[in-house]
Amino acid sequence: MFDNLIDPTIGAADGGGPGRVELASRPETLAGLRLGLLANPKRNAEQFLDQVARLLAEQHGVKPVLARMKRDITDTAPAQILDDLRNQCDVVVTGVGDCGSCSASAVADGLLLEQAGIPAAVICSDAFRVSADAMAGLRGAPGYRYVTTPHPVANLSPDGVRDRAAAALPAVVGLLTRPGAAAPS
Amino acid sequence: MTATSLTDPVEQARAVAEYCYEQGWTDGLPVVPATKAGINACLAAAGRAPDEIIGSVAHLRRSVTVAQAAANAIMAGCRPEYFPVVLAAWQALHLERSVRGAWQSTSGPAPLIVVNGPVRSRLGINCAGGVFGPGFRANATIPRAIGLIVRNGYGVRPQELEQATQGVPGRWSLCLGENEEMSPWEPFSAVGGVAPGVDAVSAVLIRCCEYVDNRATDSAEAVLTDLADTLARLGAFVGGGHSSGGLVLGPEHAQLLGSAGYSRADVQQWLFTHAVRDRADMLAAGKGDGAAGDPAQAGTPFSMMPSAADIPILVAGAANAAISMVFRPFGWAPWSGRAVPVAWPPADPEV
Repeated sequence: MFDNLIDPTIGAADGGGPGRVELASRPETLAGLRLGLLANPKRNAEQFLDQVARLLAEQHGVKPVLARMKRDITDTAPAQILDDLRNQCDVVVTGVGDCGSCSASAVADGLLLEQAGIPAAVICSDAFRVSADAMAGLRGAPGYRYVTTPHPVANLSPDGVRDRAAAALPAVVGLLTRPGAAAPS
Repeated sequence: MTATSLTDPVEQARAVAEYCYEQGWTDGLPVVPATKAGINACLAAAGRAPDEIIGSVAHLRRSVTVAQAAANAIMAGCRPEYFPVVLAAWQALHLERSVRGAWQSTSGPAPLIVVNGPVRSRLGINCAGGVFGPGFRANATIPRAIGLIVRNGYGVRPQELEQATQGVPGRWSLCLGENEEMSPWEPFSAVGGVAPGVDAVSAVLIRCCEYVDNRATDSAEAVLTDLADTLARLGAFVGGGHSSGGLVLGPEHAQLLGSAGYSRADVQQWLFTHAVRDRADMLAAGKGDGAAGDPAQAGTPFSMMPSAADIPILVAGAANAAISMVFRPFGWAPWSGRAVPVAWPPADPEV
């Protein structure tokens, strides 16, 4: 309509976008699988994942083998941490995305693992669905599904964290085992 | 809109403004349409190549070019000669260690852009009355350009990737000239490593401002006490390490402190020493994490500021009332402490 008008959203060529991300195939059962945890440094994130790991071990026979924390809430996990998770784990639980940057970043981490064939269950608080969904679209996986837990997480007591982890467990198991669970329905 | 009305240039201007809204390109206010000619004028003013990348966010897979920044600067209402200042401000912001997560943060921080040097008068950058705005084109449009670059260049829009809980008043509208002429100290840019008299831009990401109104005393220490009280406010403390704080001193407060013999560093040290809270106060407010809750330090006051040097202090405003502003640097990392010289293209040898 206005031929002389410049579109301000067009910048450097980024190689045509991410393409469509192929998600990892899911195992039928978690029994005997090696579990990795990728926490961000937000308050209670590590504790939340630890509780999920405990329950997965007790109730589903997974073997927690690796727990890492990334120091940055914005960027994806460092290459070394991602390599370790890819090389040493069969499934990964990551989160907790409970801020503007780290919710999107948790989804980005999950998708990097999916691309390497590792099923990931990303946990975000329900206040940050929009940024988590935006990152999924940006990374070539619109509609990528993740586990939500009520916001806030940071102010939970240890008992509160334990309860939340228990409440999230069925969804975590579902995302890691149901065929196509993480893909949009 | 009828075909007839679109032959009227004024109606056309209105239609273009509406079109830009429909594309999602604006921050809520109307924008000036960006054209190739406008971009070329900006590139010429800055002496920069269009395709040079001046910022990238790897996790969002977005990069911003000089030409794209120019398009957004035009849309913000900048004149082409403002563009070198926009680029310097952009560069200064990227020296801030907290910048990477800033645009998506629940804190919603605002860039505070500070301009020093002769460029202030050349471009009409206000450094005196009403310095926080509005009313001055350069002060209003340079930070707005930064906001539009983040929105359109990085694709970070409110309630999408941007998750500010409330945001802060003044986001994308804070650009001050330092009132060097009424400051008792060297220019703020000199603290940042650029020689006095050189055009330079500094930037701090901040979480709002709080005024300190103190017109009733001629005691430097009384004014410092008042400033320290606001700096030490519990609500601004996020937990973890320390709180943060800086000052835009009004000229009257600055001159009172200067004439009492305080250098800028003296003021910083005094405030660092006195902006303290009892640890019991912090625990009572549920903020006993980290160093504040260290049992070994029980009974000793807690320093709210990270260090004396990490209290940036500049001077701006009119000398018509003893009013100053406390601002809050965003994040746990201290401000960069560095100023960026404005890069002007080489002068025409014929002139």
